[in-house]
Amino acid sequence: MFSHLFVAYVFIYVCLGLIGLGIMLLVQMKISHNREQQRREYYEQKHHDYFVYVQAHLGDDAELKLPPGKLKPLERSVIQDKFIEWIEQFKGDYRNRLIRLCREAGFVEADLKALGSFRYGRRLAAAYRLGGMRAEEAVPGLLKMLQKGKYNSISIIIARSIAKAANRPEDLLDMLRSLLSHGKPIHHLAADILLETKLDAGSILLKLLDDPDPGLVKVGLVAMWGQAVPEVMPVLGRLVGAKEKDVRAEAVKLYLSTNPALKDETIVQLMTDRDWEVRAEAAKALGQLHAAGSIPLLVKALQDASWKVRHNSAESLAALGEAGFEALCQAAVTGTGIQREAALHRIGLVMEAEQKHGAIEQMVAYNKKRLIHDRYFGVKQPVKRVTGVAAVGGDYTA
Amino acid sequence: MLVYGTVAIYYVMFVNILYFAIMGLSYRSIGTIAKRAKYSSYQTLSGSELVPSVSLLVPAYNEELTIIENVYCLMTLNYPTYEVIVINDGSSDDTLSVLIKEFKLEKMHNPEIRGTIETQNVRGIYHNPDYPHLFIIDKENGGKADSLNAGINFSHYPLISSIDADSLLEKDALIRMARMYMENPEETVAIGGDVRIANGCLIENGAVKRVSLPRKIWPMFQSIEYLKAFLGGRIGWSRMNGLIIVSGAFGLFRKDYVIAVGGYRGGYPGEDMNIIIKLHRYMLSHKIPYKVAFCPEAVCWTQAPDTYKIISNQRMRWGRGNLKNMIENRGMFLNPKYKIMGLITIPYNVLFETLNPYFRITGLLALAGYTLLDMTHWRILLTFMLLNFLSGYLLSVGAVILEEIAFRRYKKLSDLWKMLLFSALKFVGYHQLGVLWRVQGHIQYLRKNNSWGTMTRQSWKEESETASTA
Repeated sequence: MFSHLFVAYVFIYVCLGLIGLGIMLLVQMKISHNREQQRREYYEQKHHDYFVYVQAHLGDDAELKLPPGKLKPLERSVIQDKFIEWIEQFKGDYRNRLIRLCREAGFVEADLKALGSFRYGRRLAAAYRLGGMRAEEAVPGLLKMLQKGKYNSISIIIARSIAKAANRPEDLLDMLRSLLSHGKPIHHLAADILLETKLDAGSILLKLLDDPDPGLVKVGLVAMWGQAVPEVMPVLGRLVGAKEKDVRAEAVKLYLSTNPALKDETIVQLMTDRDWEVRAEAAKALGQLHAAGSIPLLVKALQDASWKVRHNSAESLAALGEAGFEALCQAAVTGTGIQREAALHRIGLVMEAEQKHGAIEQMVAYNKKRLIHDRYFGVKQPVKRVTGVAAVGGDYTA
Repeated sequence: MLVYGTVAIYYVMFVNILYFAIMGLSYRSIGTIAKRAKYSSYQTLSGSELVPSVSLLVPAYNEELTIIENVYCLMTLNYPTYEVIVINDGSSDDTLSVLIKEFKLEKMHNPEIRGTIETQNVRGIYHNPDYPHLFIIDKENGGKADSLNAGINFSHYPLISSIDADSLLEKDALIRMARMYMENPEETVAIGGDVRIANGCLIENGAVKRVSLPRKIWPMFQSIEYLKAFLGGRIGWSRMNGLIIVSGAFGLFRKDYVIAVGGYRGGYPGEDMNIIIKLHRYMLSHKIPYKVAFCPEAVCWTQAPDTYKIISNQRMRWGRGNLKNMIENRGMFLNPKYKIMGLITIPYNVLFETLNPYFRITGLLALAGYTLLDMTHWRILLTFMLLNFLSGYLLSVGAVILEEIAFRRYKKLSDLWKMLLFSALKFVGYHQLGVLWRVQGHIQYLRKNNSWGTMTRQSWKEESETASTA
């Protein structure tokens, strides 16, 4: 028993020692963090007038003065953080002047030096700040840092800094290649990072869409959402026929969102694509394009295995005037299962929405639809839909 | 008797070494977590169309006191596209009517329910176009899992997030989780958030304005307990992809996989652990690479039970849920097919969580009996008790250090002393009660007693007034 007890005693002493060390460490950390916080607040207060001066003179032609007096390291850090915060908030000349001020104050130089530090924490902090200060000379170092490290959350921080600081499109492409080299499908995040750039988005997107790497093409396509870039339209037309499923789906979505004129065979091709996302986008676009000739295709698509395709087809049919609405009613009466379900749901929404319209033209449109509706469902009979939990089958991808 | 007591001593040492190992993994991750919390940019991300859309599912049962504040909190998150779906689970109070009144909701005539997971009857769905992203599902009572399933059936987006109606999310909590998801969207099937105790904090307009430790002892003990479990445990478990639970209070899931595993299991507590085990099983059985992650910088503040009755009910329920899950998934125990889950997480859970009370109680009784037979051996009993106390206390100190390295939510030095004091006091009564509640939960399970027990809420306003007067 003695030996067993001895083991237990050792365990107890180790625990006691570690507890003592832990408490000492905690107290030391807490005091030093609180002291730093207090000093930060003090320096912010001390330089309040200088911050007001900088803000007030950002629009002037005269050079901005540097922070007054000999600054302690924490004081410099407080001022630098404030400048970086403003750089993120401002654009154009204001931002450029702040960037210049960071250089003149020696912040960029100090962080470039810190980028070569032995301590990883210091290197990362410098990388973050150099991105904030849009320091293009830091990009080669940052790229090296990104390429050397394994992929994790820190890679995203470094990549964002590169996107902010880079002055050459090639650096941005290198950054994206490095991010995507780990085989993770992070195109949305990569596109978000790319959009931090100060460079002209149009030319970079064109380069991305023309790149042989499908990963970069996809980043380009994703990044194009919400961007008006007319010069990429021809490339987009080509990508609609791309082999890669993801690339094709994204390209179709973008292409159709510009309301292009579509040939009949293109419509048929898109509506029978093996990828449900493409079919769904095509179905959606047909309503917006007022392509009344595609009503039979849309009625057929009400039976699609994908809920999204059915939903978009019903929506488009409802948007295609009386003819589309009549086709919808017909599908609701003669169709079965998921087709009937999709049609009934949309009819219900249309009747509900149109009832609320007050304008004369809308009243006329509503009355026409009401007549069609009553022809199929009888007068004053509300549209009945099977509600409850076991409703429709299909996919749940969205 | 002595032999058994010795085994119990070794058991305690072994369990604690394992706890230390898991905490060691948390320490290995904490540097990266602290850096990403400090340097990640959410300004552009929270306004970006590229962030995936999320359906927030909020099951509510008799939550009339807190629900309005919570819904306002959820409707003002820094997140580009999301919807809030509150599921009124047949509340017997005015949960539904206060929501209808506050948001001027009307019953939808033709709601589209796309999912097919079976649930209790949905009586209606309420909406107001002025709040386009808020929906209230009113259904017959069926429990939390059933409510979540009803929410999934109605939800419109590819990601779902389960949120307790008594919890408040920090404004950046969801975008922080989404960032983590976007870093590995193909493999990430679930992400858990950090749950913290809101009792004692100052709450204004549905947000925690001033963080303070609770003033009452029950929430204070829970505060320490949560810190230890989330920072000391879950960070480490997620590092080796062995996380067995994503807290029901706040988690993010891929909807397609949740549907693939049949949704939440109803009829029993512990649905939050059950869904994660099912996801592990599904992904491993289908050989799909996956990750169940933990995002400690995504914080959700919750109201902790502050009376003996409520906390004991909650813990018995947890004990029951844990036992049920372990029995249901006994096929995974030491099964190499389930990798980390089968070889480490499930055995660890069975031996050191589910059966832990029995080893400790019987060990203590054996040593106490031995000492009573021969009082000269009082040292052995003291050693056993010291071992329990010191190793547990060391783990609490370790968790507080993790908090200080990465988050520093509690600023005052007095908060630190209070945390250290209550970490010690926890072993005088509270810890033993925890063991008792777990055993009682097991007894309830064997007696097929599946009641939810008492659960009363306090309005956030009252909570906040108490905090501001302190």
